[in-house]
Amino acid sequence: MRQREVVIGHRLGLHARVAAKLVQLSTKFKSNIVLFRTEETGAVEADARSILSILFLSAGHGSKLGVRAEGEDEQQALDSICDYLAAD
Amino acid sequence: MSRERLIHGVVASAGAAVGTAVRAFDPLFISFDYKIRPDQTGQEVQRFRASVEQSREQLKRMQAQLKRRSGAESSFLIDAHLLILQDRLFVDRIVSKIEADYINAEWAIQQISDELFRAYDRLDDEYLRERRGDLEDIVRRLLHNISSKKTAGPKKIPYDAILVGKAIPPSTLFELRAQRVVGLVTETGSPLSHTAIMARSLEIPAVMGAQDLSGISSGELIIVDGNRGIVICSPSDETLVEYKSRSKDEKKSKKRPLQASSPSVTEDNVRIMLGANINFSEEVASVVAHGCESIGLYRTEFDFFREGGQPDEESLVADYSLVLKSARGAPVTFRTIDVGIDQKAWDGVNTNLGVRGLRFCLENRDIFKRQLRALYRSSVHGPMRILLPFVSTVDELEAAHEILAEVREELAGRREPHNPSLHIGVMIETPAAASTCDIMAPLVDFFCLGTNDLIQYYLVVDRSDRTVMHLYNPFHPAILRCLHQVYTLLQPTGKPMTVCGEMAADPPSAAVLLGLGFTSLSVSLAAYPKIKRMIHSVSMSRLRGLAGDILKMHKPQEVEEKVRKALAMAPARY
Repeated sequence: MRQREVVIGHRLGLHARVAAKLVQLSTKFKSNIVLFRTEETGAVEADARSILSILFLSAGHGSKLGVRAEGEDEQQALDSICDYLAAD
Repeated sequence: MSRERLIHGVVASAGAAVGTAVRAFDPLFISFDYKIRPDQTGQEVQRFRASVEQSREQLKRMQAQLKRRSGAESSFLIDAHLLILQDRLFVDRIVSKIEADYINAEWAIQQISDELFRAYDRLDDEYLRERRGDLEDIVRRLLHNISSKKTAGPKKIPYDAILVGKAIPPSTLFELRAQRVVGLVTETGSPLSHTAIMARSLEIPAVMGAQDLSGISSGELIIVDGNRGIVICSPSDETLVEYKSRSKDEKKSKKRPLQASSPSVTEDNVRIMLGANINFSEEVASVVAHGCESIGLYRTEFDFFREGGQPDEESLVADYSLVLKSARGAPVTFRTIDVGIDQKAWDGVNTNLGVRGLRFCLENRDIFKRQLRALYRSSVHGPMRILLPFVSTVDELEAAHEILAEVREELAGRREPHNPSLHIGVMIETPAAASTCDIMAPLVDFFCLGTNDLIQYYLVVDRSDRTVMHLYNPFHPAILRCLHQVYTLLQPTGKPMTVCGEMAADPPSAAVLLGLGFTSLSVSLAAYPKIKRMIHSVSMSRLRGLAGDILKMHKPQEVEEKVRKALAMAPARY
């Protein structure tokens, strides 16, 4: 299991288009990928393969998210998801 | 949990009802809920999965078309839809709901999506909140695909259903009327929307413009109070008892005969013509049973577009002949279709300043001619008048006359029996028609005043826009002057004029109309008894004096107070 923190780079935050691409990206990996809010108490988590749960995270531009990947390709998954989220 | 909660809206149709909420996601669809046996869950899950699969195929096809036409850019929206269809937060939860609660797929879809809608509504980000539209679309598609497979039997809704939805079109309300819908609550719409008009003609209490109905789920017991414009969720026992006894009283008073057959005469013996407005051919029977003297306005577009498609000439002839025969000699004024072909324009968002009424008919001559041929061919079955809506220039009127003449010639050529001298009237509902009605008069046999639209255009108030709805006021001095002008322009021409808008259906504003000289009104059956009572109780000479007084006043509020005082009517509670 690996995890890292990223700052959302997209101007509109995790809106529909970004969320959709994120789901498509996540499904390419075998690992389970979870996004979670790091700033608040009470862990709000989202499955990176569920567009609804990503939207309900309501992560705007500049907000910090934790990304956790677990599985055989966890390192690549983590890198590529974090790169995508941090890009603007 | 069971704290009583009020949701405020506006009064759209009077009366109160206690009933079971039925969520209507979509204008076109109302889901129905039922329990299944434990051994049927597998089959039910299959039904659900099949509809997911079918929806996915449809979306993929749409996406392919979109990509071809406008490139990959716009097709990402469909990606979002497709991703919801494979989202475990959605799909898996629906499946477990079916399996755990033994309910049909529609019901499970409804419950899970209700939960998700609430989650959307809790989001801080306005843009993301708006994305609930994606889920709405998906749910609509799923429900549609499920229902179009005829495994589910007839639509079934509870015996005491209160329809709850963002918007509910008049056709849906009408289709479900036989199933005893007892109430209606919508987020959009206004008292002047077609759905409201329909609710009133079916005597179903309705509240519209109610904010945030997302907290109400199907199956919940709610109260709709169309007298106060509120919806009560999780009502307390006391509230329930109060409303139940009240609705019993209302039912009793509905059963009292209307005594419509006695002529409408004022206290000082002035005869007032009082007709009935109808939207559907089925209503003719009850109009006649109540003894109304005429049908002052039959809005034909509801029947015309009822099936979603367009009727052919023969079925129109059959419909219209039946209307005239059931009217048993009472004259019927048929208003030609007043709506754009786009059904979306019916409720809420409407293109009020666009192609409507006669404008639409002149642009779609084949439809217009088909309706006119059917009207003329039916005209041998009883007294009929034809009314043209939304006229704004003499040119349009001349163009309509040309078409009418062509239709008559055509029928004469075919030796079809018809009445060639039907009276042709014009609806005064645009400011242009109001100020030039005397110029139109030589081309017209009679006039009808459509006050709903006239007020909206005169005061520049979109009647479906909540933020300006309160500015819509029939007592505005501008409206009084306008009506006074119309009367003054038309009176010397001797052409009959009837007022058929909502203004005629509310006793105080109807009294103003009488005072201004209008002695022919046409109202919905629901308003008929109270207008009749008002007529019996007023003196025409006093109303004329009153009209003179209010024409000098400056503010809508002053006018309304003065009128209510004169009629000794308490101010409206809402």
